[in-house]
Amino acid sequence: MKKISLITALAFLSLLPLLTIAQSQQAAVKITGEVATPLTINNEDLQKFNQTTVVRKDRDGKDHTYSGVPVADLLQKAGVTMGPELKGENLTKYLLVDASDGYQVTFALAELDKSYTDRVIILANQVDGKPLLPADGPFRIIVQDEKKPARCIKQVVSFKIAFAK
Amino acid sequence: MLIERYKLKLNRYTSLSKVGVLAFLFSLTIGLSAWTYYEDPIPTGSFQLVYPANFGNRINVPADNPTTKQGVYLGRLLFYETALSAGNKLSCSSCHRQEKAFTDGKALSEGVDHVLSTRNSMSLANLLWTRKFFWDGRAASLEEQAATPLSNPHEMGQSLTISAQKLSRIQSYPALFKLVYGDTLINGDRIVKAIAQFERTLISANSRYDQYLRNAYQPNELEQKGMALFNQFPQPEKGIRGANCAHCHGGAKTYMELFHNNGLDSIPKDEGIETLTGLPADRGRFKVPTLRNIALTAPYMHDGRFKTMEEVIDHYSDHIKQSASLSSFLQGESNEIGGTSLKLLPEEKKELIAFLNMLTDSTFISNPAFSNPRLRIASNK
Ligand code: HEC
Ligand code: HEC
Repeated sequence: MKKISLITALAFLSLLPLLTIAQSQQAAVKITGEVATPLTINNEDLQKFNQTTVVRKDRDGKDHTYSGVPVADLLQKAGVTMGPELKGENLTKYLLVDASDGYQVTFALAELDKSYTDRVIILANQVDGKPLLPADGPFRIIVQDEKKPARCIKQVVSFKIAFAK
Repeated sequence: MLIERYKLKLNRYTSLSKVGVLAFLFSLTIGLSAWTYYEDPIPTGSFQLVYPANFGNRINVPADNPTTKQGVYLGRLLFYETALSAGNKLSCSSCHRQEKAFTDGKALSEGVDHVLSTRNSMSLANLLWTRKFFWDGRAASLEEQAATPLSNPHEMGQSLTISAQKLSRIQSYPALFKLVYGDTLINGDRIVKAIAQFERTLISANSRYDQYLRNAYQPNELEQKGMALFNQFPQPEKGIRGANCAHCHGGAKTYMELFHNNGLDSIPKDEGIETLTGLPADRGRFKVPTLRNIALTAPYMHDGRFKTMEEVIDHYSDHIKQSASLSSFLQGESNEIGGTSLKLLPEEKKELIAFLNMLTDSTFISNPAFSNPRLRIASNK
C-alpha cells in the first residue's frame, strides 16, 4: 500500500515540470506602443471577437480559406486611433508586426481601416477549418488580394503601433 | 601611420613653409620613437561610422552611448585587456580573434576555469545593425551582451565591480575614462559601453561580393553560378534548380536577423530559443548567423559540429532532419519532386562554395584599427 502511494506520488512529481511548462507554453500576440490599453491576445481571446474569413491562394496554387479576426478590430480594442480618429497626424502611424523567427513587416494604419478600404487584413488562426500548422501559426496575418505573400507574416508574436519619425 | 595622420593635417595649413613642415615632421619622428602607446595623442570627437548605402541606416546605437573616437579607443584597449578576466588570462580577443573574423577556430571555447562553453564562438562583424545578440538572440544590445562573457564563470569569470577596481589600479585607465566620460570613475556600465563602441566600428564591407555589388568586381563563372543558386528557390516541376540560401542568409550584409531551425537534429540536444520561451515551435531554433567571412570562421553551427563548408553544404543538400519546428522555408524544399533536402549535384556544391568564398573580406581581418593596440606599441619601439 505504502509502496503504491509512493510510486504514484513519484509519478505525479515527475509529471509536474511538464505540467508547469505546458501552462507557460500558450502562444499569444502582444499589442503595445501607441495604444490606450496594451493587450495580450491568445487563442481563447481571439474567439471572443467577430470572426471573418479570407480566401487566398497559397504556394501550392490552390485557394484556401483562412479564418480569424480583422486586425482593425484588435487594434480598436486596444484603443488605437482607428475609425473617426484616424486623421491628421494619426495618419503617420503604422503597425509593426513581429514574428517569432524575427521577421517583421509594417502596415500603415489606413491600410487596415474599413473607412479607407474594403480590403480585409486578418489575424488568422485557422486554415480550411483547422488550426494553422506549427510552422505557420498559431497566428498568421492574411492580406486579402495582395499579390505577393510576403506580408502574410507567419508565427505572429506582436503588434506594435508607432508614429513614423 | 601616425606620421601619415599629421601629414594630412599639416597639408591643410598651406601657409606653413615647406621647410617648417619638414623640420616639424623631423622632430615629430624623433619624438615618436620615444613615445609609448598611452602617450600618443588620443583622437577625440564624434566617430564617423562609414558604410555602404546598400547596408541601410537601420543601425543600433543606444541614445545613451553615442560613438566617439575616444570611446572607441578605450573600447579597443578593453577588448584586448586580460585584466578583465579572473587570473588575467583571457580577453574578449581570446575567443574573438581578428585573423579569424573574430572567432576562435574551436567548436567550443575554454573559459578561465577550463570549462568549455556550451556554444560556438560567434564572428563579430557588422554588429552595428544587429538588434538581438547571441545564438538565441537573448541580449538586446552590445552593452548588455558584453556583461555576460565578462562575468560568466566559464568565460572571463570576474565581476564587473572587480574589473572596475583592477582597471582603476592600472596607470592610464583613470585618465582615459575621464577623457571618455568626463570624470575618472570606472564602473561596469562604463566598461561595457566603451567595448560596445569599439564593436560597432567592426564594419566589414569589402569582400568580393561587396565589390561585385558596387560594380567593382566581375565574378568568374563558378562564382556566378553559385550566386544564382544561392538566391534561387528550387522549382523541380519547372526545371528550375536552386539552393534558396538567400531566403535566410540574403541581402547585402548576408545577415537578416532571423531565427530558424535549419534541420540539424530531429531531437536537438540544445533546444535553443525554446529554453527561453517554452514554446515547442522554438525548439532547436537559433540565430541565422552572418555568412560574411564564412570561409574564415570554421567550425560551423551553434555547436561547431561541421568542420568545413563542404560538410555544411552536404547538410542542406542531403541531411535535413525533419521535426515539427523545422523552418517552413526548408520543408519540402528540394530540387527533386517530393524531396526533403535540396539534392544538389556535386558541381553545384562547388559553385555554392565558390560563392561563399566571395564573402571573405581580407581588408577587415587586416585592418590595423581593429588589431591589438598593445602589439602596435611593441612594433613602434
Ligand atoms: C571564452 C570565450 C569567449 C570570450 C572570452 C568572449 N566571448 Fe563572445 N562569444 C563567445 C561565445 C561562445 C558566444 C556565443 C554564446 C551564446 O550564444 O550563448 C559569443 C558571442 C558573442 C557576441 C554575439 C554576436 C552575435 O552576432 O550575436 C558578441 C557581440 C560577443 N561575443 C562579444 C564579446 C566581447 C565584447 C567579449 C569580451 C568582453 C567576449 N565576447 C568574450 C565566446 C567568448
Ligand atoms: C531556414 C533558414 C535557412 C536557410 C534556407 C539556410 N540556412 Fe544556413 N543557417 C540557418 C541557421 C538557423 C543556421 C544556424 C543553425 C545552428 O547553428 O543551429 C545556419 C547556419 C549556416 C552556416 C554556418 C554559419 C556559422 O557561422 O556557423 C552556413 C555556412 C550556412 N548556414 C550556409 C547556408 C547555405 C549555403 C544555405 C543554402 C544552401 C543555407 N545556409 C540555407 C538558417 C538557414
